[in-house]
Order: sequence, then C-alpha cells, then structure tokens
Amino acid sequence: MADRRRVNGPAGGTAPPVYAQQAAGFQNTRRSRMRGPNQIRKLFLKTGLTPSASGSAYLEFEPSLGQNGVPGRLSDRPSALKLTCTVHGPRPLPRSAPFTPQLLLSAHIKYAPFASRQRKGYVRDANERDLAVHLESALRGVLIGERWPKSGVDVVITVLEGEEDCLEDEPFASTDSEYSRSKGLGMMSVLSGCITVASAAIVDAGIDCVDFVIGGVAAVARPPLTNKQKAKSRVKSDYAESIWQILMDPSPAEHEDLDAFCVVGYLQSRDEVTELWVKGNTPNKGDSQDQEETVLDVLTDRAVEAAIAARHVVVEAFKESNKFRIQSHSPDQG
Amino acid sequence: MSRHKLIKQLDLEEELDDYDGGALYDNDENQGISPEDQGTFIIAIVNGEYRLRQGTIRVRDVLGPGFEISDARIQESLWYYYYDVEKSVNYLLSEQTSSNTKPKQKGADLKLSAVDGKSDLNCRCHRRWVENDYDLDFGAFNDPDVPIIHSVTGSSYFKPDVMSTFFNDAPWCNIPPGRQGEILIEPLYPPGRLMGGSSFQGDAKVSKLAAIAAARRMKEDARSRSGTVTSSVALLDKLGNKMSLETPNELEMAPKAATVKPLNPVQADTSKTSRKYPVRERGVLNSNTPEDAIPPVESIISERKRDPETFSIPIALPSAFARTILGPSFERAPTSGQDGPPCDLVGSPYHFFFDVADAKMDAFAEPSPDDVVLKAQTSKGTKTTKSGTGDEIRAVTSALGDVAISEAPKYKSKNLDVLAEFKKTQIKPTANFVVIGHVDAGKSTLMGRLLYDLKVVNKRTLDKYRKEAESIGKSSFALAWVLDQGTDERKQGVTIDIGMNNFETDKTAFTILDAPGHRDFIPNMIAGASQADFAVLVIDASTGSFESGLKGQTKEHALLVRSIGVQRIIIAINKLDTLSWSRDRFDEIQQQVSAFLTAAGFQPKNLAFIPCSGLTGENIVDVSTNVKASWYTGPPLISLLESSEPFARALEKPLRLTIDDIFRGGVQNPLSISGRIDAGSVQIGDIVITVPSNETAITKAIEVNSEPSDWAVAGQNVILHLANIDPNYLKTGDVICSLAAPIKPLSIFTMKVLAFEHILPMAVEVHRGRLHAPGRISKLAAVLDKASGKPKEGGKKVRIVKPGSVARVVVEVDEPVPLELGGKVVLRAGGQTVGAGLLE
Repeated sequence: MADRRRVNGPAGGTAPPVYAQQAAGFQNTRRSRMRGPNQIRKLFLKTGLTPSASGSAYLEFEPSLGQNGVPGRLSDRPSALKLTCTVHGPRPLPRSAPFTPQLLLSAHIKYAPFASRQRKGYVRDANERDLAVHLESALRGVLIGERWPKSGVDVVITVLEGEEDCLEDEPFASTDSEYSRSKGLGMMSVLSGCITVASAAIVDAGIDCVDFVIGGVAAVARPPLTNKQKAKSRVKSDYAESIWQILMDPSPAEHEDLDAFCVVGYLQSRDEVTELWVKGNTPNKGDSQDQEETVLDVLTDRAVEAAIAARHVVVEAFKESNKFRIQSHSPDQG
Repeated sequence: MSRHKLIKQLDLEEELDDYDGGALYDNDENQGISPEDQGTFIIAIVNGEYRLRQGTIRVRDVLGPGFEISDARIQESLWYYYYDVEKSVNYLLSEQTSSNTKPKQKGADLKLSAVDGKSDLNCRCHRRWVENDYDLDFGAFNDPDVPIIHSVTGSSYFKPDVMSTFFNDAPWCNIPPGRQGEILIEPLYPPGRLMGGSSFQGDAKVSKLAAIAAARRMKEDARSRSGTVTSSVALLDKLGNKMSLETPNELEMAPKAATVKPLNPVQADTSKTSRKYPVRERGVLNSNTPEDAIPPVESIISERKRDPETFSIPIALPSAFARTILGPSFERAPTSGQDGPPCDLVGSPYHFFFDVADAKMDAFAEPSPDDVVLKAQTSKGTKTTKSGTGDEIRAVTSALGDVAISEAPKYKSKNLDVLAEFKKTQIKPTANFVVIGHVDAGKSTLMGRLLYDLKVVNKRTLDKYRKEAESIGKSSFALAWVLDQGTDERKQGVTIDIGMNNFETDKTAFTILDAPGHRDFIPNMIAGASQADFAVLVIDASTGSFESGLKGQTKEHALLVRSIGVQRIIIAINKLDTLSWSRDRFDEIQQQVSAFLTAAGFQPKNLAFIPCSGLTGENIVDVSTNVKASWYTGPPLISLLESSEPFARALEKPLRLTIDDIFRGGVQNPLSISGRIDAGSVQIGDIVITVPSNETAITKAIEVNSEPSDWAVAGQNVILHLANIDPNYLKTGDVICSLAAPIKPLSIFTMKVLAFEHILPMAVEVHRGRLHAPGRISKLAAVLDKASGKPKEGGKKVRIVKPGSVARVVVEVDEPVPLELGGKVVLRAGGQTVGAGLLE
C-alpha cells in the first residue's frame, strides 16, 4: 500500500543533470572583455509588464558571449542580470500607521531561489537587505514625496538572474587575495540594475520624480601585464602610470583582477548623485605630486558616464511605451 | 519711462565719449589719497608701464610685422590680460578676424571707437582696484554694479562723474520727482532646468529669457567647436561687440554671459577624444592662475549634443526569456493589414495596460476618508449656523426632515402590502393560550405531556429529564421540565417565568404560554396572559387541593385573565387518576368552578370542562382507554384547543408590540427583541419607534416561530432584529410602535376598575403585560353600577371601593407609561391583585 502520509514524487522520476567538470576541449576560463573600456553592456528594458502593479519594469543585460561570439557550454555560461520591478502605490497607508507628511518609500530586493548558482533561501539575507537600503537611499532623492502625504509606495524587485562573482569551478569563499579583490562586484552591478529598473518602474507608475535615477558601475582594473610592463613594475611601484585602467560596467564574469569598483545613482538633468558606493582600494596616481583628481574621482566619473549611457535606454523604452499610449488613445486607430 | 526705452534711446557713442575725460577723473581720485599711498601707487604705475612696454614688444614679435595694429591697442589688451602675452595675442587675432568677417553695419570706425570707449572704462575700473588694495583681480570687472546702471527716470542719463554731487541740491526727503530713481529688483526666477524646465530646445514654447539664453548657448557651442577661441577670449570678444548690438536685453545679459565657465582649450581637446558617450564636464575649481581668475559661477553641466556617428544607444534585443514573458509576438511581425492595432505593439505588455489602467488610478480617485469627514463637518456646520428668521428656521427644519429620511435604510424595505400578503398566504390560524391555575395543579406537567404526545419533544429528551429528575428525587417533575427550562425552576419544582413553546396540529399553530402558579410570580403570569387568546385553567382534583386552589390562585388567575380580556377558557380537571376517575368529584368541581367563572363574567358557552391526567396522559391527545374513565365521552384536550375559533386580529391598526424580552440574537444581530404583536403589522426595513424612550430603530430582520420572515402581523409571536438603536433605550415592557402613530406615554389616567380587594387611595403597581410601573390611586372618582355602567349614588364622595364592585379611579404613575385607550390594566398592591380594568 502506498504511503499516503507523505507527498510522494511522481512515479517516473528523472535524475538531475550532472555536468562533467572538465570536459575535453573546453577550458573553463573566464571570458575576456570584448568591448572597449568605455562601452557598457547592452540593456533591454521594458515597462508596464505587470498589470496588477501601478508601475513595473523589466531589465536585463545582454549576456556576454564567448570568445568568438559563440556561447560556451551551458554550465559555463556567465550570468546576465535579469530584474523585474513592481511598484505598488502611491496608496493610502493603513489607518493604524502614524502620520507621515511624505510618501513613505519601502524597497524590497529579493533574489529568486534560482537566481544564482548558490541557491538562495526564501528569507531575505543580509546582502539583500543591504541592497534594499542602498536602493532606498538612491530612490528617495528623486521622489517628490511632499506631494503624497499619508501614502506609501512599495518598490519590489525580484532578481531573476543575478550576477555572480565567481564561476562554478571556483571556490565560493576563496581566500585567494586575487580573487577576493573582485568579490562584491556582482552585488554592485545588481544594485546598479536595481536602481535603473526601479526608477523606470516608478516613472511608469506615474509617481512624481525630479528625474530618472540611473545606476552606473565602473571599476579599476589591472590589465594583464606585458613582459615589459612587468619588468617595469618590479622596479617602480605596483601601480605605475597607465598600468591601471578604468572600465565602465564591468561584468563579473569577465574580470578577475579588479581593485575597486563604484556604483552611482545619477540624475543627469540635475547632475546629482543620490547614491555612491565604492568598494576596494583605489590606487594612487603615478605622479603623486600634483593630484588634481584622484583615481576615485575618475572612477566616479566613469560610473556616472555609464549611467548616462544607460539612461538612453530608459528614455528609449519610455518613448516606445508613450508611443503606444498615444496610439491606443487616439480613436481612429481602431 | 521704462528702462528698455531709455537704453534704446541712448546714444552710446556720445555717452562713452564722455568717459574719455579720464584725466579729470584721475585727478579727482588722486586728490583723495595720502602721499604714501601716492608713492606706492606711482611705483606700481611705473612698474606697470615697464611691463607694458616689454609686453608690447613681445606681442609685436609674435604677431609679426605683417600684422597691422596700434601700440595703444596692444597695450590695452595687455592691460586687460595682466601682461599675459599669449592671451593678448589670442585676443588681438580673434579681434582682427572677427572685424574682418563681420558685415559692417555701422562702420568700422564706430565699432572701434566703441571698443575704445569700453576699454577705457575697463581700465578705469582696473585702476580703481589698484588704488584700493593693489589686487589685480579682474573679477571686479564682473561686478554687476559697475557697468550696469539699471534705470533712471528722467530725461538725461546721469554721468558717473557727478554722481557724488548728484543729491547735493536736493532737500532731504524731498527729492524732485524728476530725479527719483525707480528701484527695480530683479524677480527671483526659478533656477533653470530643475523640476519643470525642459532642457530640450525647440518644440516647447520658451520664455524670452530662456530663448536668449538658448541662443547664447548655441553660439557658444559653435564657437567652442571651432576650437580656436577660449571662452575668456570670447568674453572679451562679446564685450567688444556688444556696443554694436541694439537689443537692451542683450545688454542686460552681459553680466550673466560673463559667468560662462572658462574652458581650457587643452582640456577640452582631451576630453573630446577617447570618450564614447556624451561626457559630463568636470568643473575645475582650484586653479589660481590669473587667466582662470573668473570663477565658474554656474557649475551646471551643459548637455552637449551627442555625436551621431560615434554614439549608439546600448539597447539590446530581448533575450529568449524576455521574449517569453513579453508574449509570443513581441518581436516585430511583418505588417499584415492596414486596420487593427499597430502591429509592432500587438502582444506587447501594453496590451493589458489599458485594461487595468482604470483600476490603477482608483486608489486616490475618490475623496480620502479625511476629506469626507471634513466635508461632512463643514456642511453640518453651515447648516447649524443658519439661524434667525423664520424662513431660515423652516429651512433648517425641513432640512432636518430630509436628514431623517436620508438616514434610512441600508436594510431595504420591500414595501410589501403586508395585509395582502397575509391574506394570500393561507397559513394556519394561530392561537396563543395561557395555562393558568393554582400552584402545583400540574400545569407544566400537563403541557409537557401534551408536547410529548404530539411528538414535539422526543422520547430521548424526556428520558434524559426523567433520569435527571430521579437523581434529585423529583421523578414526577420530568414532564414539567419540558417547559421549565431554568435551573431555579427545576431545582424548586416551580415555574417562575412564562414558559413558551410552539406546536402545530393539522388545523392550527399553537403557542403555549405556561404561566407560573405561585402567587409570588403573578406579574409574570399577567405578562403571559396578556399575550393569550384563550386560557386553559388547570385544577387539581385531589382532595383539599381544589378547595385551597379555589381560594388561591385558581380564583385570582381566572379573574385576571378575564379582566385582561380572555373570554374563552378550558378547564382541565387534572390528577383524576389519583381519584380513580371519580365522576362525582368531577361533577362537583365542574359545578363550583362554572358558578364562580360565570360570576366572574365568563359566558357559560365559552367554558369547557375535561377530566384528564397530565402524568399519565389520559384525555390529553388521545381519549382515555381506562374503563373507569369511560363515563367521559367528550373529546380530548387537543380537540378542544383546536375547536377554538380564530380570533379577530387588529391588523389594520398601527403597530403595537410590547417587548417581552431583549437579547443578543447573535453576532449579526446584536440587538433583538421578542414579543407578541398586539396590533398592526411590521416588515423588514420598517422604521419603528420605541415608547417611552422615543427612539427610532430599523427593523433589520423578522423571525416568526424561529423562521425568517419578511413581515409579521398581529397575533404572532415574533423576534425583531433591530438596528440603529442603542440597547439602553429599550427595556422589557416598552412598546414598539409604528413611526406614524406612536403611543403617547401617560403619567396620569382614568380607568374603570373591577376591585378584587378593598381599594383605597393608595400606592399600587400598574401592570400591563410585561410592563409594570409604580404609581398610586390618586382619586376614587365613582363607584359604577355593574349592569348599566353608570355612577351609583351620585354626588357622594367615594372613600372606599369594596371587593367585587366596579369603580372609576384616577391613577398616577411616577414615570410615563405607554398606555392606550382601552388598554387592560391590572393594579396590584402588596403582592395581591387589588383590581383590574380598562383605561378610559
């Protein structure tokens, strides 16, 4: 007699796929960055996806292709960020809530359980809460909250596919100094995407904002040293002039040797930054005597440039959605 | 005169020529300084002249011999640039080219002189600064106070030379109107491009100022693109050209134009290379070299036009996943036809956007709860503040009337014609009967037997009662427990309050009202009897019990039900099984009781006698099979009950319902009342009024015999679920009336009373149904003749009313009671019924 007290699996079960770790012919290597240092990855953004929410948006990054533009094997494929954001509100606060003169913003970021190689739990962990705090501070600067007293707005982001710091074969919590230096980049680039998608969703919801706030990431990287440079670097300090390089929108899968990264939430039309988060050590500039601008300045600037570039995508997405709205409102369009 | 006009009318050439009197000015200035200062000043001047000469030579070297230019001009530009050769050369070159290319509107001479004049002014300004603190800060040049005199009313443009003496001949506080200046404070315009401002040029309508600013920006852009002119040079350039411009606005804009951030040409070049996206300009704030001395006031970045060749929007195509969630036809399908929705949007997520658009917007579509309350408060406030004249009062009262109407129901009345409904439904005739008799006559047991035999109470329940009764040693009370539900009643073996139960036969629906027999509970008996149509008088036939009963409550009950209005009475002679069905005893009792009842006012035809036994159940539902009882050939009790004629109901009269009980009828019905409808009808949604509290309530629901009903009519025992009333306003004995015709509560009334005891002017309790109120007999008006109903012994004052006689008395009660004309009232005093009668 069958066991009735348990929920049993189907009769004909399947075994989960197991991938060979070192298949012949494949070198499990990091991908190298195919685009220029000043180029960001391509984005895809769509607004108004979720009908039940006041505003919503979907954002994804184009996955980086393999060396010859061919995607590698499945297990090897680097993650590409995919985010959905729903905005609920502005809605009246419950009667039990105390009076607020401004719009009460609350942001939630949750990784889907399948968003990363390491399965995520259903309860929000510290990283997710940290990201939510950063997102909240980025968004609070753009909302004109005074126009919505006694109201609240919930920004809910689900990370469908997250960026990860490591490949499958690499140890997750490595003590290797080289690796651990670029750890945390995934989170940064998720935050940048979250800021952009949340801003788009808020605008889609029709909540009063001063501007789009767009996320941008930049990193300080050391390109692989040529022999000549190596010789030079032995003589001089570790960071001679022009050895380090600043990359816009680094993908964690493509870089292993990053020293510092920076994410900004940037308002282009006001030239304001609502969120700035820097991790790592910025190297000194080669000629240390007259530091007009530190590397940090340059890094921040590049992050802002990345945001400016991403902004165009957001603007295009809204142009498209507005076009549709106008078309569907005009009576002669059937 | 507006300043625009004034400035338009200025003859610039003439005005500026006046400035050439620099020598005079210098003299004036020099007079004011001390010899030491003069000394240092001279040194500075000498030093400056030396550098000026050196600079001129170097400039000439750079420009080469082919370049025709006067020494004065070179010196002047050197002055301006603080002996910086490179910048001066730049300036002179650009000056030369622009003067060559410009169409000569007013002639080169004019322009040149204008430039000269202006430069002179600059020099003067500069010198003043030298005097003051030897600080060669060209920022002072941008001081808006110096070159711009906003407005002066009056015919002549005043000259700065005479400025100090301008007010000399004017009396204090009495300046002639021609010379009064008009102070124009520039309004605070919102800073550009914040919330509302659009940074796009073109399609939107822009203000004049913004248009000028945009034009300026465009010009600057073009200039910076040419790459040769730095902005500080451009500034000088502008100042040079300005004199030829006619628009006063442009003149006004000058100080603002001067604040344009300098752009180092080298920097600009580097920033333009190697960047793929439009780049934010970084403000360079910390440069101390004099060529950058003009501080960048606005740090706002200018949005540069993006270069279409090098820049492409990094927009990606949706991934397979995105295509899946966006719908199958998201990728642009080839256009199939002309009509139909725009093809590229078919299947896009915006399809359902508009279905839900309205739902989305709903959150704040309605006024907020606060607004509703505020609105209500304000409207109420305005209503109440209206006062004074009669018209207004009338308006208010009519408005209040409206309010009373509008307050009505969420419980919708079906507006039934209840009487028609009642006639339509051929329901069984209903009858309420009260069971009366002396204590321990077996009233409850008889009724319990009746219900048991009619299968209203099942055997199982009765067995349970039997077992429980045996356990406390009262096995014979088991049947009585069917009606005696209270714990006190069961413990003491005495009915205390009215026991109610329903049963139906084939013909009639009955309601039993089991009255308590004990004399302490007469008020409850009165309450039960007032709901009854007829009565069943139970008499204990056993020896001694009958006799004591006839003196006791048998008599009192019979009189009471008669005076309350019961006309028909069935006399059940009980416990005959203990007397082995003795016919003699039955006849004896029948004789005595019929004599007494007839005397009490019952008509003989309305009396029916039946021998029975409640305990054994003979002659109750079935005729007795006992041979000893075979002498009785009449019908059993149930048949006698059924034979009672239907009673006329006061259906047409306004609603009257005396509240029998108030209770919580459940969660949904927090306030329910029960009682018998004495007159009229009621239906769901009716607004009723309670007397004496005079509060309105809405009939939310009606139950008749535990069945929900839409309406109820007189004669029915009903439960009304009320709404919109506080339970404090209700108490048992109050009367529920229709809103149209409520009872007027009385505090003093006259009644015709049949005396059971001696009646004096004394304190009495007034009973009517459940209602009992303390009061007193204040006056004995007259003793009446029983037959004719006319006052006996006219004129003589009545001091006492003897038992059995009829009198007219005046009764006062402490608090008004809901009594009506013709109401049957019982008067009791000291635990005894002293009289009963009708209200007159």
